[in-house]
Amino acid sequence: MVLLDPTTLIDIGLIGLSGALICLAVHFIPVGGAPAAMAQATGIGTGTVELAAGSGLVGLITSSYMLHADPSASMALVMASGALGASVMLASTMLAGGFIYAYGVAVPFASAQVKKDPITGQRQDNYVSKGTQGQGIPTICFVSGVVGSGLGGAGGGLIYSVLMHYYSPLISATSAAAVAGVFTMGVFYVNSVIPSYGVGGTIEGVHDPKFRRVVPKDVFTSVVVSMLCGVVAILIAGGMTP
Amino acid sequence: MSEIKERSPDQLMVFGIIGGLLGIYLTYLLPLAGERIGGKIEIVLNTIAPVAGALGAICAVIWGADAVRRVAKYGLGTGVPSIGQIALGMGIIAAMFGLAIIKTQPLAGPVVAVITASIIGFIIGWFAQNVIKMKIPVMIRCMTEIAAAGAIIIIGYSAAVAGNYDFVNNLIPRVFDNGVILFIFWVGAVAMLHPFNACLGPDEKQKRMLYLAGSTGASTMAIVGLAAIITIGASGAITMILGIVLWIIFYKKFWDEVYNDAASVVGTGLIPKTEA
Amino acid sequence: MVLDLTMSMAILALLGALATIAGCLEDLESDVGSQSNPNSQVQLAPQMGFLHRIFNKAISGEPISNGMSDVTGGTVTSVLLSAKFYPLTAIVIGAFVAAILYGIYATTSYAGRVASQTRFKQPLYMDIMRYTTPSIIGHNFIVNFCLVAIAYIQYAVLGYPFSIPFLALIWGISVGAIGSSVGDVHYGGEREFQNREFGCGLNTALSGRIVRKAESGLRNSIDNVWFCAKFGGPATGIGLGLTVFFSSWRTTIWGYTWEAMGVGVIILVIMIILNRLTEISVKNAYGPYKEDKEEKEAGSVAH
Repeated sequence: MVLLDPTTLIDIGLIGLSGALICLAVHFIPVGGAPAAMAQATGIGTGTVELAAGSGLVGLITSSYMLHADPSASMALVMASGALGASVMLASTMLAGGFIYAYGVAVPFASAQVKKDPITGQRQDNYVSKGTQGQGIPTICFVSGVVGSGLGGAGGGLIYSVLMHYYSPLISATSAAAVAGVFTMGVFYVNSVIPSYGVGGTIEGVHDPKFRRVVPKDVFTSVVVSMLCGVVAILIAGGMTP
Repeated sequence: MSEIKERSPDQLMVFGIIGGLLGIYLTYLLPLAGERIGGKIEIVLNTIAPVAGALGAICAVIWGADAVRRVAKYGLGTGVPSIGQIALGMGIIAAMFGLAIIKTQPLAGPVVAVITASIIGFIIGWFAQNVIKMKIPVMIRCMTEIAAAGAIIIIGYSAAVAGNYDFVNNLIPRVFDNGVILFIFWVGAVAMLHPFNACLGPDEKQKRMLYLAGSTGASTMAIVGLAAIITIGASGAITMILGIVLWIIFYKKFWDEVYNDAASVVGTGLIPKTEA
Repeated sequence: MVLDLTMSMAILALLGALATIAGCLEDLESDVGSQSNPNSQVQLAPQMGFLHRIFNKAISGEPISNGMSDVTGGTVTSVLLSAKFYPLTAIVIGAFVAAILYGIYATTSYAGRVASQTRFKQPLYMDIMRYTTPSIIGHNFIVNFCLVAIAYIQYAVLGYPFSIPFLALIWGISVGAIGSSVGDVHYGGEREFQNREFGCGLNTALSGRIVRKAESGLRNSIDNVWFCAKFGGPATGIGLGLTVFFSSWRTTIWGYTWEAMGVGVIILVIMIILNRLTEISVKNAYGPYKEDKEEKEAGSVAH
């Protein structure tokens, strides 16, 4: 059976790993959901799923282009390319979002989960306005978001390059990219929705107490589901062989 | 809410599965039957076969929308749309698997896809319920249902564009290479999640939501038909026109319900006085 | 296709400009219809007794709805391209078909949501429906046009491995994610609660108590876009423009090497520093909301 081949097992493991990376990304990105859009919670004012997916898919574009331009590129470089594409997207978003919080809504950035920002050491609690859960994107959240989106982008790049390795010998390059891309997107969505349910829609980032509480079980779920997807992906390749 | 008669989940599930799979299989069986009969009927059957796929997909959209409604009523913490996304995420993986793995038994493809989707959906639902602990009683069942509906939606619309559901020979060149699969993936998800999201509120009614699901499914069918004109010609035009006609019917029905249900429908006017 | 450096930079600049326009218009379009997260307030208002004349465009989250319209635009465009249409015509028709589909979804969500609020006596205003929907379609058309054009350029000129609908979908999701993270805050945090003191911070207890009166008459969604066009929209545009520009600028100059990655890291560090500077400036400008002794001492040491 092809599935028990060590290389195949490693590849399934890699797909599992990339699922874990995408799942971690959701936990790292500071998302405040609807309250954050009213400056009533710390973090970015939108949903966890779409932010992780939006940044990760920009990473998929950059990493796929790199793999296309230089098929011999090392996997590390492809992953770095995906990571940076995603991080740049999220950093631009957070920077522009920060300008709105600062000059459009006029609220000082503050985290409600920690008393002092672990990076800058600045007091947070007394900047939290009355009746809210913090507001804006303080430095710790920004850094956490950049790191997290980087993980997501790297995960997307990793699945894509693993799948391309399987599909490109079997079908034409365009078709292989299309099938691998679509599959990556499916895995991406599955893995960004699962942890979103775990965090319940909002999380401030790596310093949030929720982070420690939910990461293990979410990552476990994602790894299992992604490895299942990995098995499926490799069996699809089997179906393409004439 | 009990005084309002609703379609039961089982009824809709049977409708979705039977209707969906029937539509998908017709895309494959009608040309076969045509081959036996021959002559003009063969051409007619070949032309209308792909249309059945899209009609099957609409059945699945209606079923999926109801499953989304049942699970999203509990409040997922991330809004309604996320569940539509995961549904089609699972659906597309399962659909590709089911159709690709079957080489010599083309009839088994869609069934394998639906079963695979159900298994993935069941596993995710089980994890959501027992590992992530979401405490939503219908989670496992609904996750299974929407994953299966997602797979039928993907295969149905894809078959309408590609002619039938043969993965390597038809789907890859006609649906994957030109990117139409992304349209099916995404707009199929929106067609399924939009009806409940758009009708969300304390006075939400199933009947109105189901009409809206028919309308979103039909509008997707119309654009699928447009794409199919390029890939398979005349059948695409039929899919598109039928899609538009169905859309008009469902959209009109939806508006009738809105006129019935809304507190008041006014041309213009000031805000009515309330206690606040 | 291999291009020389000048040409690549020109294309990159064009992509950046298109992205900026798309980002700006996307945010304004979401404000016209009141979509995404600030919409929770519009949805909640009737329950709090605040009936209103604001459009309730709950198609889905912004990334999903924009992904939908852009992938539709991309699909129709690639269909027309394979029927040998000129690229520009194909993009325009594709964007138009997508915008119409989007408009249809907008009408069903407004009607559906209002019909589900019967018990709060929220009326369904048909005039709002009639003149807001064309505005939504118009804004969405420009977004689709810009993003499908980006996808076309990336596919046909730069030779990305993905098809036009795929690229259009990803940019649609990104523009929605950026629009709902950036511009919507201006609408949700400021415009909906404009009667509160600027910079007071919005107590959660205010939820649903949105402003319903305009500068003259009753406020509707067109008034909101007028306000958000001054800051929220352009800031969103900058967000997407920076994303599109910096995601390919590095590799255009330095190629597919680790140097390009290093430059990317430097860009990220600069952005982190910029955010920190903004944070310092707002914290000094608006000051803490609560003062306590410990904080005062810490403050006197810090200054």
